[in-house]
Amino acid sequence: MAQLPDILFYVFAFLTLACGFLVVLNPFSTNPVTSAMFLVLTIGSLAGLFVLLHAFFLAAVQILVYAGAVMVLFLFVIMLLDLPAEERRKVKKAGLVLGLISVGAILTIMLQSLLQSSFSSEAAPTLEGSTIPLGRLLFTQYLLPFEIISVLLLVAMVGVILLSKKDLK
Amino acid sequence: MGYEREAGGRGMSYLELLNLAAPEAIIALAALAVLAADMFALRELELHFRLAISAMISCVGCVAAIGWMLALPEHGNVMGGIFIVDPLGQLVKIGLLVLTLFTILISLESNFTVHAGEYFALVLLATAGMMFLVSTADVLMIFISLELTSLSLYMLTAFDKRDVQSAEAALKYFLFGSMSAAFTLFGLSLLYGLSGSTSLEQIAASIRGPRLDPLLVLALVMTVIGLGFKVAAAPFHLWAPDVYQGAPAPSAAFIASGSKVAGFFVLARVMATGFKGAEGSGAWHGYLPGWVPLLAVLAGLSMVVGNFAALVQTSVRRLLAYSAIAHAGYMLIGVLAYGGSGLASLLYYSLTYGLTTLGAFGVVAVVQQQTGGDRLSDFAGLSRRSPGLAICMMIFILSLAGIPPLAGFVGKFYMFSEVLRPGSPGMGLLWLVVLAIALSAVSLYYYLQVLKQIFVAPSPGAGTWVSVAPVTQQVVLGALALAVLLLGCFPGWLVQRLAGAMAPG
Repeated sequence: MAQLPDILFYVFAFLTLACGFLVVLNPFSTNPVTSAMFLVLTIGSLAGLFVLLHAFFLAAVQILVYAGAVMVLFLFVIMLLDLPAEERRKVKKAGLVLGLISVGAILTIMLQSLLQSSFSSEAAPTLEGSTIPLGRLLFTQYLLPFEIISVLLLVAMVGVILLSKKDLK
Repeated sequence: MGYEREAGGRGMSYLELLNLAAPEAIIALAALAVLAADMFALRELELHFRLAISAMISCVGCVAAIGWMLALPEHGNVMGGIFIVDPLGQLVKIGLLVLTLFTILISLESNFTVHAGEYFALVLLATAGMMFLVSTADVLMIFISLELTSLSLYMLTAFDKRDVQSAEAALKYFLFGSMSAAFTLFGLSLLYGLSGSTSLEQIAASIRGPRLDPLLVLALVMTVIGLGFKVAAAPFHLWAPDVYQGAPAPSAAFIASGSKVAGFFVLARVMATGFKGAEGSGAWHGYLPGWVPLLAVLAGLSMVVGNFAALVQTSVRRLLAYSAIAHAGYMLIGVLAYGGSGLASLLYYSLTYGLTTLGAFGVVAVVQQQTGGDRLSDFAGLSRRSPGLAICMMIFILSLAGIPPLAGFVGKFYMFSEVLRPGSPGMGLLWLVVLAIALSAVSLYYYLQVLKQIFVAPSPGAGTWVSVAPVTQQVVLGALALAVLLLGCFPGWLVQRLAGAMAPG
């Protein structure tokens, strides 16, 4: 008997995948703004998955930071650049067939191994909701990765400025 | 969970962590110093001085980090494998820093960018990422440091903004790289799901029995895809020729040397520690699923693809790229020899290969600045134009080909004999070693093709003009050539150090 969380998991997972697909390849629209809106939906469904994992704080951050702040910036940039609707590229038939075959093969292998595997019943440890254990972990066990991510962000920042700046000669 | 482990008495103080991670911290600080100096003080100076001063600050940082590790050898394992400091790791880090130092020195005369500070800062930050990569046994840290390294390397590839090729190469590198990062992450998360832990040792502990869980096999394949991309093993090598050709020469040299060393070290660690108990067997008639046959296939494929594709190249950089793919194949054989002194042979090989390929790219950079191209014909008559450079290139190329007194030969010999040593997981891989030796003979053809252009072919034009490479570059390339020669003649120096560093751990 399927429980409500299980059903919700499948709903959110399906929504995430479908919206993610529509971000990249929307058969009805080639407008970048539509893609961006579907990205918002993708992020929203991801937040739903986090809620199902009892990671409420992460879900909230996901909505606030990604669906909120980052996406607003995205839309700003798209509108500032005034991107025209993208031209649809002709997909080569051979490429399409080959791609579908390989995707199908990988999918079959994954499903097969999932079905055959004896997944350990001991559930992975969950971070129960509140921000206190999360904050504690970030400052004890995972302090170093946390710091390295800040260096990673610095690299991204330097890189973006470097690539987007016009070289004045 | 980790928090409970903390409470369980394995406390660590921030100061202790800072003490252990001091070399990495020094490198990161040097990067910040370079950025700040370039922004506040050097803006108005001539490009030449800016390059020199930024490079000097970076070199000071590298030397300080090396000195710190030599003077204060530390041992430590904090937070259950998230950060490990041991003699072997420190030795590899010193090797990485030496490679970075040489990269910085061969970038000194470059003219591909006006953003000197950013360039050296990114080189340093990539190095910091590699250093973190070699000092962890935790999949989370491995992923984050891989990303730090990769992101910096993408930027370094795109650095020549006047060159479309550079942008194209960077875009390809980025797209392939993020795809492979996704695969790695998927594989690592499966591992986490199977074992409930991110630590490699606990992951290994959850592998039971000779019959492997199919999901574990899936995780293994996905992890290998991601790491195989980093070390440019076939069939995940498609980015390498374009990047090696399109990126600015010093960046390409750095990608070919430093990231290879770090990549192979972490590949060996993930396979041997994280998948311990899932070795399988790649023997000719005794196939068993596991990571050994998987890597053996990748090794064979890389050697075949790399060596044969290199035969038809006319661009020296592409030739070096395919030769790098072939060498990735040889080094994968070294990964198979893991355990005991097998790892020492792999590290000896990757470090000397790093030095050699750095030198080769350094020569290509000089030639490209003089003639404007990197085709084989641009090297014609180099021995008459600049004899010093030609001799350096000869040493590098012959070492890559594996000719006796040079480091490349010793590395190959040592590694292949380690694989066949009784007791190594790679035992029974005689077929692979035979293939490697046969393909090394094939590789002689294209290596000698380069030397033929340099020493035999007539110089284009009158051939009377003598071009002198900048003094710093001559000195640096000479030093690299000397290092390759000395490491080849006296391999014991490095090998003993590597073996000694491994003994207590």
